[in-house]
Amino acid sequence: MIHLENIQRRYLSDEVETTALHDIKLDVDAGEFLAIMGPSGCGKSTLLNILGTVDRPTSGRYLFGERDLAALDEKALAQFRGSTLGFVFQSFNLIDELTIEENVGLGLAYRNGVSDRRGRVAAAMDKVSIAHRARHYPHQLSGGQQQRAAIARAIVGNPRLILADEPTGNLDTANGEQVMNILAGLNAEGATIVMVTHSRSHADMAKRRIDMLDGRIVASAMHTM
Amino acid sequence: MNRSALLSLYRSLARHKLYAALNIGGLAIGIAVFLILSLYVRFETSFEQWLPRHDGIYVVQTEFKDNGSPFSGTYQDTMGGLLEQMIEDFPSLVGTRINGGEDGGTVIRNGAAQTEDIARVDADFFRVFDLPMIIGEKATALRDPTAIVISQSAAQRYFGNRNPVGQIMTLAFEKPATYHITGVFKDLPRNSDLSFSILARQERNSSPSWYHWGSTALTTYLRFESPQAAQSFEQSMPAFIKRRGTHDMGPDVIDQMGLSLLPIAQAHLQPQGLASAAKKTTIITLGIVGVLTLLIAIVNYINLATARASLRAREVAMRKVLGADQGALVGQFLSEAILTVAIAALIGLIIAETGLPLVNAAGGLTLSVPYGFVTPILALLVLIVGVMAGLYPALLLARFPAAAVLASARAPGGGRAGTRTREALVVFQFGLAIAFMIGTAVLVAQARHVRSTDLGFQREGLLVVPGLANSSLDKARQLALLAALRRLPGVEKVTTANSAVGNNGINNFSNVDVPGRPKPGVSLRSIKVGRDFFETHGVRPIAGRVFDDAHGTDDSSTLGPDSPRNIVINRLAVARLGYSSPQDALGKTVGDGKLTIIGVIDQLRFYSPRLPDDPTYYTYLGDIAPDPVATLRFSGDPRPIQASVKNLWQRLAPQVPFDGDTGVHALAKFYQSDDHVTRLFGIGTSLAVLIGCVGLWGLASFNTSRRVREIGIRKTLGATSADIVKLLVGQFLRPVLIANLIAWPLAFFALQAWLGGFADRIALSPVFFIGPSLLAITIAVLTILGQSLRASRAAPAWALRHD
Repeated sequence: MIHLENIQRRYLSDEVETTALHDIKLDVDAGEFLAIMGPSGCGKSTLLNILGTVDRPTSGRYLFGERDLAALDEKALAQFRGSTLGFVFQSFNLIDELTIEENVGLGLAYRNGVSDRRGRVAAAMDKVSIAHRARHYPHQLSGGQQQRAAIARAIVGNPRLILADEPTGNLDTANGEQVMNILAGLNAEGATIVMVTHSRSHADMAKRRIDMLDGRIVASAMHTM
Repeated sequence: MNRSALLSLYRSLARHKLYAALNIGGLAIGIAVFLILSLYVRFETSFEQWLPRHDGIYVVQTEFKDNGSPFSGTYQDTMGGLLEQMIEDFPSLVGTRINGGEDGGTVIRNGAAQTEDIARVDADFFRVFDLPMIIGEKATALRDPTAIVISQSAAQRYFGNRNPVGQIMTLAFEKPATYHITGVFKDLPRNSDLSFSILARQERNSSPSWYHWGSTALTTYLRFESPQAAQSFEQSMPAFIKRRGTHDMGPDVIDQMGLSLLPIAQAHLQPQGLASAAKKTTIITLGIVGVLTLLIAIVNYINLATARASLRAREVAMRKVLGADQGALVGQFLSEAILTVAIAALIGLIIAETGLPLVNAAGGLTLSVPYGFVTPILALLVLIVGVMAGLYPALLLARFPAAAVLASARAPGGGRAGTRTREALVVFQFGLAIAFMIGTAVLVAQARHVRSTDLGFQREGLLVVPGLANSSLDKARQLALLAALRRLPGVEKVTTANSAVGNNGINNFSNVDVPGRPKPGVSLRSIKVGRDFFETHGVRPIAGRVFDDAHGTDDSSTLGPDSPRNIVINRLAVARLGYSSPQDALGKTVGDGKLTIIGVIDQLRFYSPRLPDDPTYYTYLGDIAPDPVATLRFSGDPRPIQASVKNLWQRLAPQVPFDGDTGVHALAKFYQSDDHVTRLFGIGTSLAVLIGCVGLWGLASFNTSRRVREIGIRKTLGATSADIVKLLVGQFLRPVLIANLIAWPLAFFALQAWLGGFADRIALSPVFFIGPSLLAITIAVLTILGQSLRASRAAPAWALRHD
């Protein structure tokens, strides 16, 4: 489903050039659960951002299905994100002024031709067991509940790819387990997930793990359950 | 704007009520001030534009070119018989005179006389002024010389609900006569200098001055079908003047006077004679105040809105991640901004509407909001300000890559460029606010000065009664009235003169020959006074003596026209006549050896403070001055004195309306206009400063909240609370201090120009600049001190965890 080839990402700031990604080559199949690990600053989040099209590679090819995403302009990329991808962040990134139900509904806000928005939002909230908090605001929820709401927002549009950037990073063990179980459940239902994590035990819940160091993929291993 | 964006905006406003109130409220106040001052400017610049086909009506102006004479300048008055001579030379001319107007005549009813706004006009009046009529035919209403037309409210006053047409009224100009009413016209609106409620026909006048070139008696209006016709007529005036004026003014009449046409819509703000263009300057100033106050409010709003918009960067980044494209985000911010500004505009309109009665009372106005005119302007304003407020944050935030924003712990604030821009905006708005404060201080000081300045006489305890000069009172009756006034309890002295406090009386100037200087000599104002004139006004000579009956040559009424007589002059006349000092002038003889100077007094400022003082000489006429205005010196409360004088008057001279005013009140009318302006300016200034403070408070609050972590770090490193307060206050004090560099020169030049309109004016002392600047700095410090103190007391551990 996803093919990355010779992906480079360089940053230029104050005449200092930093290479975050060196010649990344990566394929992700449909229905795969991929974990990305590595020390801080190794480029994991950069890679995730490029997969999520919120950052553009300096060079290289990114094919999603048959589509070459490098050829798309900003507007087209925005539409692609809205219709194809779901995001889960370490710091949840819910909007404080909206209720949980409204935050989850935001996942459909920028898509056209969506029917039964209300029903889909309700279903997404049910799936992550957060429906009872639909009318509450993010600051009224615990961290685990907020992350579950963020997952509901990510899946409400039935995305082809879910990108999770350290989804348990701000959660305690119990909540982290809960979130991981949700992700595993989604993957079991056929969702493709790419997750960045520092936690080995959480990475072991994925089917495949890649290790990164200094902007390069240094290891890749399938996980046998 | 999608539903979630709308919800987001509403919840954001509701969650941060104080910011929302300050920001929207500040803009609303700015809009209200702009609206009110615009209405005032619109009112003042709309005079006579209500007249049908007003662009064809012209006022004939007389220009006296004699430089150095107090009479020089252009006046909207003409010789009484000018129009008759014009029509003789230009038979197709359409014109009318208006002689009188406010208190222009007397209505006699049931044996009692009361002053009324009566004007005498020509038969062609309605061909020039197409006034809307309620009853009667314009074409024929004034055909009969005994016909009059009255206003709607005069009809109500005199006849109630009865039809006034055909009714008889007795009016008195020089003498009483009866007239019949042939029509009723609609009341004149407030934006008009035309001031009459009864129109009668102007009769042919037989007095010599009526046709004397160089005199002025009334206002002449002409109608032309096109500007080109008016211009062509104006160009023919020099030849006309030479033809008609040479007999009275000599062959060089063109060098002495001119006639020109002024479109009637420009007449209201046109200065006359030596009076300065102060009124026009005032209108322009207030208009600028309104625009600048709005500008301050807009700058404030944009400053705070853009600063706070950066807090929503994370939301913007998430929306991008969820599929919003740049167009959607820009559209969201613009819609939010336009909607918020629209709310502010609506509140501003409500404030203006509810505040107008207060403004009207303070300014002596009757303004109201013309919604048909104001609504589209407000809509445009909403659009422009909304776009300005929304575009900057939209473009700023759209620029930041979503990934960077989401990864960052801190919302982007526009960086150093954003901070500098915000500081510049604070400098700009405080610069204007300080300039306003300086302006208010000077206006108030000048107003106080003219009210309390030494006028050369004791203004309290004087009652001025101009009616003594009424032509229906012969000398015997005038003397009887004066004797009766002297016997009234509380009256200490009574005098007469042909010029009195409050510009009552007549203005006479004479050329006085000075030995050793070429003719025609020096132009001096000539005032004729009766017994006890100087004593009644509490005037002491600064050299020599004043008139007294012990000296026979003092009383000119006992002397022949060519006999030598004594005069008293004022200080300015000493200089004008060429003497080195008042002492030097004593005993000198001027005026072909007929006028001997026996005393010098200081300037007596009877007239407007805007007019320059005149060099004057006084002549004594014994019992009563010609064209006499009576002035009484009394002790105690003026009200019982006024009442007893009025009673006596109505008993002894019932056919002459009583018109008595205290000296203080008679002078007050000269200050009224400036008082109104000072009040309006003061209100505008207070609101401009308030808006500036609101903006400063909001910005300080925003900036302080962003520095909480920094404060924690500084405290951990050893900074005290005082150090933190100094840091935060200093950050905002710098732009306020810099603002003075804008304010001082701006205020200096503007105020110098305004004060130039006063003959008697205060000096622009540094106190007027330093005081308001210190006040502004104090206000700024107090505005941000509270937040700074609070921030400085935050526990470092908490602050370090703060994001």
